[in-house]
Amino acid sequence: MKEVNKEVLKQAANNLLFDMSEEEYDTLLHEFDIILGQMSFIGSIKGVDEVEPMTFPFDVSISYLREDEAAKPLRQKDALKNAHDIVLGQIKLPKVVG
Amino acid sequence: MTYLDLPISEIHAALMAKKVTPLELVKEALARAKADKDNCFELILEESAIAKAESLGEPQDNPFWGIPYIAKDNFSTKDFETTGSSNILNGYVPLFNATVIEKLDNAGAILIAKSTLDELAMGGTGTTGHKGITYNPYDKEHNHLVGGSSCGSASATASGVVPFSLGSDTGDSVRKPASNVGLVGFKPSWGRISRYGLFPFAPSLDHVAYFTRNVEDAALALTLLSGHDDNDMTSSYKEVEDYSKYLSKDAKGFKVAIIKNVLDSISDKTIKEKFLETCNSLKERGICVDFVEIDEDLLKAIYPTYIVISCAEATSNNANLDGIKFGPRYEGDTYQEVMKKARTNGFSELIRRRFVIGSYALMRENQEELFLRAQKVRRVIVNKVNDILKEYDFIYLPASPTPAPLIKGSSDKLSNEYLIADNHLAIANFAGLPSITLPIGFENGLPFGGNITGRAFEEGNVLAVAKTLEDITGLKGLSVLNKEDR
Repeated sequence: MKEVNKEVLKQAANNLLFDMSEEEYDTLLHEFDIILGQMSFIGSIKGVDEVEPMTFPFDVSISYLREDEAAKPLRQKDALKNAHDIVLGQIKLPKVVG
Repeated sequence: MTYLDLPISEIHAALMAKKVTPLELVKEALARAKADKDNCFELILEESAIAKAESLGEPQDNPFWGIPYIAKDNFSTKDFETTGSSNILNGYVPLFNATVIEKLDNAGAILIAKSTLDELAMGGTGTTGHKGITYNPYDKEHNHLVGGSSCGSASATASGVVPFSLGSDTGDSVRKPASNVGLVGFKPSWGRISRYGLFPFAPSLDHVAYFTRNVEDAALALTLLSGHDDNDMTSSYKEVEDYSKYLSKDAKGFKVAIIKNVLDSISDKTIKEKFLETCNSLKERGICVDFVEIDEDLLKAIYPTYIVISCAEATSNNANLDGIKFGPRYEGDTYQEVMKKARTNGFSELIRRRFVIGSYALMRENQEELFLRAQKVRRVIVNKVNDILKEYDFIYLPASPTPAPLIKGSSDKLSNEYLIADNHLAIANFAGLPSITLPIGFENGLPFGGNITGRAFEEGNVLAVAKTLEDITGLKGLSVLNKEDR
């Protein structure tokens, strides 16, 4: 497992596209002490590695295809309603290619 | 006391008999909402609520017709700002209604306000929304938590603003605050109610849930809100029943399990005594009540398992909150900078910390030991609980180890304290089981609740035994408006 230190946490925050203060990282390091301590403890629970990971409370198997019915999609005007900086019906962002 | 303070069935009878009108009810509810001193609301919808009340016409024989209600602000409401109490969604106006909002609207219910929550429903104190702390109405000095994340709905319903409010429950976000404010808080089975339009936090654990002031109203709400929805592929096709018919079911012969080591971990004498008193009363009504034990290690594992799974799912689910398609826009030289500014300014510290925990658990090097292990522990816990429910109809426990805790000293930082008694309600989220909290007593003027969890999709039986418990305690219809009566 990857060692937890400020650098690793900064990398994670960077990947998540936000910044945090040094104080926040200190709090987080303390939280990791707790959570990793508890997780290492639950690693020793009997039978844990004999079961499959549980991704949902029940097995939900839906095996139908919806009817191929025509429906009206969102109008462009509506789809862009919550965005700022609209140009020619599209959301404007800084240039990606120079 | 006005019609607004009655059970929904009695308000309905008064509406049918034209003793009161939807407009009068809505005006009363709005007046109470506007008098709020506990920071319950993101938005009070005075204009639209009055317009809806005026448009309803002749009374319809449907229990929710003309009933004012409140929705937690993580349910999408067409044309009304919906923020999840997070700055990253300030100004976001959904283009559609959540399915539950649509069902209530079609039934003639009237949405009067959107309520505060712990930011994006990711907290348990009611202190982390972007509007600040939501307070417990049982303490006018504002020293006690209401709990969360459905803090505004809990507080407003307990203040008598409405008889019914929507919340969501991922770990205990309706059932824990219900305990703190003397309400019924009900989370049905996973898939029983469509989640379309509910902001996702951790979809494998998220449930639509709600507050009422009595068990009868919880049954009425379930009948209205349940059912498959093509817009939510995890919603169940199981038949929707008339859940009210279970309220008269004789609970005699039911078997109830008390998890002894959860109860043993509670030190509050009043809660324990009152809880055991209710157990004796259940026995007197012909219900079998036994103590069972669960391996203590499994109980201690509930909290870390919940944190790892919920944070990992949340990290992924909230990746769309980038400040570009919606929410406040920040300028930058690159699109990454635009997003980074939006997410840094938009999310509070707590949310960012939770996302980092989730991201760390999902890193390739850590997945096996953290995320996948948590998912495996979840299965071991669920297997054990379902084994108990093969022999017993329900698990019954105090909903919380204490009445509402003090705000001072409380924290949303992870901690090793109260590992078992404060977190056992998440079992019902792990297993998707129907689970209801209802008041069983008071300590120093603050209410506390008991919690009953049953087998998946056996909501009817859960409501039947909850009604029996409610009859035993006599604690129904509670709000701060009638607390002097007790």
